[in-house]
Amino acid sequence: MPRCASLGTVLPRVAGPGLLLVLVLFGVSGPAAAQEHVEYERPVDVAPTEDTIGEGYVTPEVQRPRPRAAAWQIADVVLLAAALGVAAWLAIWRRQRGWLVALTTACLLYFGFYREGCVCPIGSTQNVAVALVDHTYAVPHYVIALFVLPLVAALFFGRVFCAGVCPLGAIQELMVLKPVEVPRRLDKALGWLKWIYLGTALYYAVLPAIERDFVICRFDPFVGLFRFTGAAWLLMVGGAFLVVGIFVGRPYCRWLCPYGALLSAFSRYAWRPFSITPSRELDCGLCQSACPYGAIEERRAVRTSCFACGRCYRSCPVHHAETPESVVPAAELAGRPPEAAP
Amino acid sequence: MSKTHTRREVLGHAARGTALAGLGGLTGLLWLKANATFAWSINAQRCINSRLGAVGVDVCERCSTECVLALSAVRAVNEFKSCGRCYVCPAYFKITSAVGPDGLPTEKVCPRDAIKREAIGWIDPDDPANNFYDYTIDETLCNGCGRCVLECKEPAGLGSIRLEVRHDTCLDCNRCAIAQACPEDAFDRPEPA
Amino acid sequence: MKYQPAHTIGGRGSAPDQFARALRGVALDGAGRLYAVGDSAVKVFDADDALARQWPTDRPGECVAVDRSGRVWVGEREQVEIFDSQGGLTDTWRDPGQLGLVTAIGFAGSDVFLADATARWVRRYDQGGRLLNNIGDRHRKGGFHIPNGVVDFAVDDEGILHVANPGMHRVERYSPDGTLLGRFGRFDGRDPEGFPGCCNPTNLTVDDQGRVIVSEKAGPRVKVYDPEGQLLEVVADDVFDPTAKNMDLVVDSRGRIFVADTATLEIRVFEPTGSEATA
Ligand code: SF4
Ligand code: SF4
Ligand code: SF4
Ligand code: SF4
Ligand code: SF4
Repeated sequence: MPRCASLGTVLPRVAGPGLLLVLVLFGVSGPAAAQEHVEYERPVDVAPTEDTIGEGYVTPEVQRPRPRAAAWQIADVVLLAAALGVAAWLAIWRRQRGWLVALTTACLLYFGFYREGCVCPIGSTQNVAVALVDHTYAVPHYVIALFVLPLVAALFFGRVFCAGVCPLGAIQELMVLKPVEVPRRLDKALGWLKWIYLGTALYYAVLPAIERDFVICRFDPFVGLFRFTGAAWLLMVGGAFLVVGIFVGRPYCRWLCPYGALLSAFSRYAWRPFSITPSRELDCGLCQSACPYGAIEERRAVRTSCFACGRCYRSCPVHHAETPESVVPAAELAGRPPEAAP
Repeated sequence: MSKTHTRREVLGHAARGTALAGLGGLTGLLWLKANATFAWSINAQRCINSRLGAVGVDVCERCSTECVLALSAVRAVNEFKSCGRCYVCPAYFKITSAVGPDGLPTEKVCPRDAIKREAIGWIDPDDPANNFYDYTIDETLCNGCGRCVLECKEPAGLGSIRLEVRHDTCLDCNRCAIAQACPEDAFDRPEPA
Repeated sequence: MKYQPAHTIGGRGSAPDQFARALRGVALDGAGRLYAVGDSAVKVFDADDALARQWPTDRPGECVAVDRSGRVWVGEREQVEIFDSQGGLTDTWRDPGQLGLVTAIGFAGSDVFLADATARWVRRYDQGGRLLNNIGDRHRKGGFHIPNGVVDFAVDDEGILHVANPGMHRVERYSPDGTLLGRFGRFDGRDPEGFPGCCNPTNLTVDDQGRVIVSEKAGPRVKVYDPEGQLLEVVADDVFDPTAKNMDLVVDSRGRIFVADTATLEIRVFEPTGSEATA
């Protein structure tokens, strides 16, 4: 398959910068040791001792479960970098939807339901903002890595983070069943909301510590779903987003996500973004109606708004024949636009 | 055509390079002071329920009510080595309640009955007042409401009970709901010493 | 007999007649002078409450007592310093391995009693500093229950020791050889007759009629019991700092009660109303 570069040759190029960055930096300083308890001393000399209590009494140990090991933080970062690399490889070199769906599901399970959503690159925007203005506030290495890696990836390959790595995006991605087209002007107008949201979030983050609030985390509609718990109204909002998302593709991503705003800005200068090319695709325009996110204009993917989901390849007569149907979930089949039906 | 294309490419490279350099600089800047781990913890010196000198205040229950988990990730912890093991523990008994026939208060402080009282060591068969008692908190019941913490505090108790975040259940929310609600700013992500 | 707060002596501050960090013990001598230890000094106030003398102690003073010959005994950690009435050091008692934090001192006949808060009982010495016996060590629980951290006692005119056993909410009476003669008190958080909280009374003193005057912590309160253990009077329950704890107290021949507020570092004086005494 001449147009499918092998994983062995592409992965180093794709994941290389991110992995290298992480490993080198962690290697230099290493994550700091956890300090989970603030010093707290009260007089113990007036308390009875084992001797005075007698009869072989042994003072019980107080159990203090430790936070997640630092190794897991490194694992998270490595997994994130690897997932970004794989997403880029699948979307840009393999030009394949099926495996992307598998990746999306895997990332949703790990970053979403297993890691329960925190800390994510979207929220880390606030940590970074606070760290920049408040000299007493430090973010751990892995949060910096979480913030930077998807942006670096966007500079090279566009929004591959949104393609299948972001759990918030993933849960919406898998809900797109009967997409309807949103009028282009409305879509564009709503797109400005994410910049307003980003500004608001940054404003609240850089307030003095006592008034500081992380509004992105506060109003994150999906994190409660990952945890199966949370404020009732937010769970309902999350559910509503998912229901709307059946018909309107990824509403949070397109119009609200503040990190998506950053990603779209960075992917404007992507080196090799997701693309629909006359040489590899048919250039027939079928894909335009296949994109549930309105990200194809004049038969070309708009790099700032394309989530690299790969649906366009699925609708492309050139790729269509090669798609391994076995890995396409039923929901996915149902969501396929009529043009792409076999 | 090919000239403009090249210029576009050059501009693209320049923009990308600039952005990369910017991200690199940002990373370096943050990395210089990056050292914290993200484990939430309660500064017992600040928490109104355990802060010395905060006497006669109302209990702060936010640790139990605000957590995003149904059963809060905060628990009361009795540091046994500094507990007085009193006969009448004000954190166990509601000491202002009526005294029963056994000479002990009839009501308990803990609304969830999470504290177990048990005579330890040598047991005086005739005089229960002459025994030491362990007060053990059942972590499956305690929700960190702080009532016992407020009572076990100088000058009434020895301050051996305090609230702690249980790191095996805490989700490490980036925006901890308790931290946002804590009136004393006692909920913190401490930096390593 | 009712009491009313008369005035206060000392207070927190850096003036000579004030205390900087701590006020731990008070005592009276035969002439009615008031001795107070805190920080690392003994301060003597004359009958008009003016500072008469002060001198430093080796370690922070935990308690103070004046014997019949006017010598001033100051209990400290692991030692007792003995001064003449002018503040000259005459002797220092140590009993390595035995004597811990000395939180009360009393005299009867030729005996010297030292309350040892580390061992949690009272030690009886002769005038030469030889240990005769311990009082309270027959509790199999290793002495008195003192989650509050101090053992306090008072010796009445007949040489009987009244010891506070706060963890058991009792006042206990002992003969000098350590025999339990009697006790009174019970827990009650509502009825002022009983002792509230985890550990009360913390401190006590006995007047010349055998009445026992006790102080409590959380909330701080001073009460008078008759020799049978019946509550006579609540002297005060609202004037002390709520965080005050282990308030030492002493009563003079006119019935005035001097209480050391350990939080505000004031010595509060309470007068019996309707008595002949005027401050
Ligand atoms: S737009 Fe935001 S929420 Fe959506 S996939 Fe991208 S980063 Fe995640
Ligand atoms: S914190 Fe509340 S629930 Fe937990 S043991 Fe104390 S009183 Fe009970
Ligand atoms: S009040 Fe505190 S120190 Fe005293 S027995 Fe109860 S838990 Fe222990
Ligand atoms: S971080 Fe989340 S789970 Fe942990 S205590 Fe705070 S609100 Fe609860
Ligand atoms: S919210 Fe703050 S003050 Fe209230 S109990 Fe929790 S730590 Fe203490």
